[in-house]
This record gives sequence, structure tokens and C-alpha cells, in this order.
Amino acid sequence: MRLSDIDVVEPRNLGDALSVLHERSDGMKPIAGGTDAIIRLKDRLLETRELLDISGLRELRYIRKEGSTVCIGALSTYSDIIESSVLKSLCRVLVEASKTIGVLQLQNRATIGGNLANASPAGDTIPPLFTLGATITALSHKGMRRIPIEKFFLDYRTVDLKPDELITEISFEAVERPCDATFLKLGLREAHFISVASLAIWARWANDRNSFSDIRVALGAVAPVVIRARKCEDFLRNRRLGEEAVWEAGRIASSESSPITDVRGSADYRRAVIPSLLYEAVHKLVESRRAWERP
Amino acid sequence: MKEPAGFEKRFWFKLNGRQVFVSVPPAHTLLEVLREKLDVTGPKEDCGKGECGACTVLMNRKPVLSCLVLISQANGAEIITSEGFMKDGSPDFVQKAFVDNGAVQCGHCIPGFIVSTEALLSRNPNPGLDDIKIALAGNVCRCTGYASIIRAIQDAARSK
Repeated sequence: MRLSDIDVVEPRNLGDALSVLHERSDGMKPIAGGTDAIIRLKDRLLETRELLDISGLRELRYIRKEGSTVCIGALSTYSDIIESSVLKSLCRVLVEASKTIGVLQLQNRATIGGNLANASPAGDTIPPLFTLGATITALSHKGMRRIPIEKFFLDYRTVDLKPDELITEISFEAVERPCDATFLKLGLREAHFISVASLAIWARWANDRNSFSDIRVALGAVAPVVIRARKCEDFLRNRRLGEEAVWEAGRIASSESSPITDVRGSADYRRAVIPSLLYEAVHKLVESRRAWERP
Repeated sequence: MKEPAGFEKRFWFKLNGRQVFVSVPPAHTLLEVLREKLDVTGPKEDCGKGECGACTVLMNRKPVLSCLVLISQANGAEIITSEGFMKDGSPDFVQKAFVDNGAVQCGHCIPGFIVSTEALLSRNPNPGLDDIKIALAGNVCRCTGYASIIRAIQDAARSK
């Protein structure tokens, strides 16, 4: 189907969008920023007769704190995230991840809800949201569902979202200190690149300041979906952070991945860089903890 | 009743300061409408996939890629292309700085660079080298004239 044959429906508000989706859920696809969907439509990787353009729904564009929870409206753009004072102080890791995505022109259009629905294994907001234990809120005319992010991705580019549901919000517990969470991605150049491999950590420091009493590690672009490296987490939990321990944890994380070879890198290369990513991420947390404690 | 394939819908937006109305298929890209319907040929289609920045325009004052915006998504928006920065038919300070610094070789990518530069200088009148590189990271010049482009931007910032 050519772009010129596709109809685009512009809902007046969220309620309108949900009832249109309910009436015509057969083959109608929602489109938000469109920075990935339009390319996929042009390349005919995505086929549809009708698009529901939700990009203008202002009520899904907010970033706010509710108690200790951070709530992000699904249509918040990466630029909204990068410029958000709430996120700068309560979830710097998501700000840093968003800065690495595409370039300014894309950050001004692409949305966090789109990144989730699009479900690329290389989607860069996904590993941090995995480690934050984020919850995805989906709405249909029938009501609301709250889905833990790890249950949301079913398979390569397949998500637990019914044809008449829209993602409305992403929420998670605030992370106040930069030394409690980090994100790293490896690409083939400095700017405007898609992850060859990426890694996010959320950690709770133990009182000895040299180990984590709890840790979550997520890996991107090295499996059909983003994954948690649970064996690596188990190995590192309450273990003294020495050189050998961290390299060993990285090797364990690598063994939990199942990468493929594609234009950006070979499966062997991806497996080989995971320990380095983990080492560097832990190093970043240690350095950032030192900086935090410096008077 | 579903309308037949290839149908058109009516949209309006503000283009370089004046209101325009167009009747086009709703999933046409903003870039197609600008170039083929309105004869505004500053923005170019090179990759069509959001990689080169040649189609950069301002949409509600923010740089976006017009090849990845559907015309229905631009309905009611304020769009400014490189043409929109001209002052009384003459180049403005950014365009002049590009010419003065020999930053234009084949010229194909330059309208996109102009729009990205205008957006940068309007939010940061005195950008450092890294600010310039980050703001321009989405614009590709295959004559690889980046050194002179960066000089032109620094010159434009000084001249303002």
C-alpha cells in the first residue's frame, strides 16, 4: 500500500481515539511521532489502510511526580524527557538514554510510548525502564490495564497490546541519585546511531559502599527482546566489587544473551562486548558514587 | 463509507508566515506537500528515512524531518523552511555567513543546515563547538564541508 492510499484519522481527544479504535480495530494502526512507523510504511514493513494519528493528543504529554512515583505520558517526546526538570532530578538515567537516541530532529518528534509499542530490541529507553521496574498503562474503551514492562514484550517486535488499546502512561519509582542507575550503549560512531549493544543497571548500594545489596541489569540489542541478565544479577548481589568479580559478572551476562549477526555487528562481537559494557557501567556507578559523596 | 483509494483531504498550516490550504492525500509527507504542491524546494529528499537531515524544517519552532511528518500531523502547525528566514528577499545573517565562509559546496544539504543553525542560534546565541556539533549531528554533508560549515555558524553567532 502506498502512503497516498492510506487514510489518516485525527481523533479530537483520547476518548474519541479509543472509540474509533474500538469501532475499527481491524487493520487500523495508531501512529505517534511516526519517526519509525513512517519509514516502515514507506518500506512496506508495516501495512495498514488506516492510521489513527494520536500525535496531537495533548493529554498524553506530561511528566510529573506523584508521591515517589514518576509518571510519563506516552506521547512525551525525547526532547520533553531531556528537558524535564522532574526527570533531571528523579531519573537522570532516562534523560541520558534519551540524549543518545537519534538526533535533535528525531528527538523532537519521537515519543516514549512509540519506542515501547515499536518494540525494537535496540529501543534505547527499554533497558533503563526494565531496570527501573516500570509499569506500562494501556487503555481501551473497556478500561485500563497495568502491565509490568518485562511482561509487555512477547517476542521480536511483538507486544502485549490489543488492537483497541493505546499506551497512555509509563510509571516507575524515582531514582534520586545518579549513582543508583546508569545506561551505556555501544554504536559504530559518535552520533545518530542505533545500538549494537546496550546495557542498563539499577542498583541499591550496600552499607559497605563496595557492593550492591540489590541490582538489576538489562541488555538491549543482544536478543529478540530486551532481557534481564538475572544470573549476572545473582552473581553480583552482595559481592565485593573487585576487578575479577565484575569481569566474571560480565561473562555471565554475555552467556545470558542470544544475539544475531546483522549490519551493525556480528553475534560474536556482541557477545564479546557485553563484559566491557558491564565493567564500564559498574565503573561509572562507582565513580558517580564517589562524586556524590565528595563534599 | 470508506473513501476510495487516492482520495484527498483538506489541510491548512502556516508556512513561512502565511496561511496555506492544500488538498492532498492525508498520509502524504509534509516534504512531498512542500515540494510538489507548494513549490517550496528548499527542503530536499535525500534518504527519506531520517538519516540525512536535508529535509529539516521548523515545526512549531523545533527542527523536525519533513520526510517523517505526515501532512495530517502538520495540520494547523507553524512551518518554517530555509526560505522563511530570508529578510526582504535577501539572505539573513546565517545564510550570509554560509556564503561568506565558503560553507556551500554542491549546496544540496545547505537548506537543512540553515534551518538547524537558525534553531540552534535562536535558543543558544553563543554556542560552543560541542553545542554546534550536537545541534548539527542530524545534518549530513557528503561534500564533507563540515569545517567551513562550523566556521560559518561561529561567524553567524558573532555577527548577530
